Amino acid sequence: MKKPWQIATLAFLALSIFVLIHSFTYPYKDRLGPGPGFFPFWMSIITGLLSLGLFLQLTFAKSENGESKSFLPNREGAIRIIFILASLGFVLVFLNPLGFRLSLLLFLFFLPLALGVRNWVVLPIVAVAGSFGVFHVFYYWLKLPLPIGILGI
Amino acid sequence: METLQYWIQGFSVATLPINLLFALIGCVLGTLIGVLPGLGPAAGTAILIPITFSLEPISAIIMLAAIYYGAMYGGTITSVLVTVPGEAASVITCFDGYQMAKQGRAGPALGIAAIGSFIGGTFATFALMVVALPLASFALSFGPPEVFALLVVGLSLVTGLAGKSLLAALIMTFFGLLLAMIGMDPVRGAPRFTLGIQDLYDGVGFVPVVMGLFGVGEILLSMEQPVLEIIKTKLTDLLPNRKEWRVSIGAIGRGTVIGFFLGLIPGIGAIIPTFMAYVVEKRVSKHPEKFGTGVIEGVASPETANNAYANAAMVPLLTLGIPGSPTLAVLMGAFIIHGLTPGPFLFKERPDVVWGLIASLYMGNVILLILNLPLVGVWAKLLEIRYQYLYPGILLFCILGAYSLNQSVFDVLLMVLFGGLGYIFRKIDWPLAPTILALILGPMMERSLRTSLEMSGGDLGIFFQRPISAVLLILGAIIMITSAVRLLPLWARKEAAN
Repeated sequence: MKKPWQIATLAFLALSIFVLIHSFTYPYKDRLGPGPGFFPFWMSIITGLLSLGLFLQLTFAKSENGESKSFLPNREGAIRIIFILASLGFVLVFLNPLGFRLSLLLFLFFLPLALGVRNWVVLPIVAVAGSFGVFHVFYYWLKLPLPIGILGI
Repeated sequence: METLQYWIQGFSVATLPINLLFALIGCVLGTLIGVLPGLGPAAGTAILIPITFSLEPISAIIMLAAIYYGAMYGGTITSVLVTVPGEAASVITCFDGYQMAKQGRAGPALGIAAIGSFIGGTFATFALMVVALPLASFALSFGPPEVFALLVVGLSLVTGLAGKSLLAALIMTFFGLLLAMIGMDPVRGAPRFTLGIQDLYDGVGFVPVVMGLFGVGEILLSMEQPVLEIIKTKLTDLLPNRKEWRVSIGAIGRGTVIGFFLGLIPGIGAIIPTFMAYVVEKRVSKHPEKFGTGVIEGVASPETANNAYANAAMVPLLTLGIPGSPTLAVLMGAFIIHGLTPGPFLFKERPDVVWGLIASLYMGNVILLILNLPLVGVWAKLLEIRYQYLYPGILLFCILGAYSLNQSVFDVLLMVLFGGLGYIFRKIDWPLAPTILALILGPMMERSLRTSLEMSGGDLGIFFQRPISAVLLILGAIIMITSAVRLLPLWARKEAAN
């Protein structure tokens, strides 16, 4: 896991540099005391130093014997993960235009289908109950505002 | 006398039919969360916060607290039946619980876990009632420097005890603090780091972050190896036999004491008390070699410690406003959403909420015992739901929970992004708990630091001139040093092996 750790520390180093630069746009001090830029300035400096410290520690440490644990999932696992992320992306795009019921109906129908479900009786029942049923409980009973789409559903 | 009046007030609130109903619903949902793989107690509690929006604050908090300790027991069922802990604290139960299940004794394993949880939880709640008021009264004397020092200790404990690398844990803590800075400046009220995005003016919501890191992240990881093997076992004899009772009584007593005292330390997490209870039990046993082969003490003691810890961990949350775990941080967030701030002032301002919640813990422990013994078979059945239906179902509630907080798709986007990060951090084994705690405590920490410096005219010496803050900061430094020393032998061993 040495390489993923190094990448993670570099990502945090980049984040801390971004926050540090951005912190200069806020006053470090004002009439009453420390200003809005005070905390971000020091937090970004400390995060940067910690990230750099861990990066150097990893870079100069000897690699572990028998280091074989792969970061990437196997092919089947990767495909399932892509299906999940793609279906979440679909919901993100269509939640407002299609409404909660319709977008989640499609989500609950096609995601299990993509994951290997072929039961044509249970699948639609789960999709309808999970979308229209859950909407009914939360919208009408628990009074939670949920999106209604352009089709009025 | 004053304490007694508060106790009576608390019980009169907790025993209202509506509050009993919500405690029952919370216990059922909590157990469900604990049982279902892919949904830990932190994400589970966060998902269910929107359900409580239309409730009275006290009913909402009672229900969310019931979800929290219900999930603690629910995790046991999966530990015993599928050797997959529903939540981290139940890891140790897998050792002997699963072996007992393989020998056809899953019933007594789950039965003793329920009984031990009840005893441990009830004792811890009683002790909470005794210590809460004096501790809260003491904390009332805290000014901004003491609050800052206390938060430093809390975060040091969470960071020092998390993960394999202290540096990685520290980075994750500061990541949480960086996230906490997005939104309105907690002292002057000006927007910061919003990048012009209107949805970020209120800051990064902890609910989408928790659901992403702990819910979506866990599901993505589970997708790599999604199939669970469930043991088919008889669940008819739930009560242990006489011999098992004899050995379990001592184990339950020791588990109670260990769980309670470790629960008082903010940030220690539920894993350490359960492991310590197991280790102590093995030490005092006449047959330590049998541990891991299916001995009932190996289930009774850690499970008791788990629930005693869960109830005792309410002490630092309620009296000092310091959550000791991600789930308690979520609970604290729920308090804030309902207009309540956990801490010593809550005891003065809303004694009905504080004492009602504490009294409800008793009710919750009774409900869990009644609920779990006869319903173990039902919970076990839930494990047979196919992951292809289960995970989309959990994701549905994650979407619902993230959206309904602010009626914002942006929060759903945040949840997905943090889900990806949660997956990556789990893969590389970086701890997530410090990030969540720092995200919740960050604004309070910044406010207390800056107010302290305003008080002193910018002199950092204020933290060392006041005895309580000085002692607390030294304690924080000691925790960090001991954590570094604790991790040093690991590093040295690795070097030697190379």
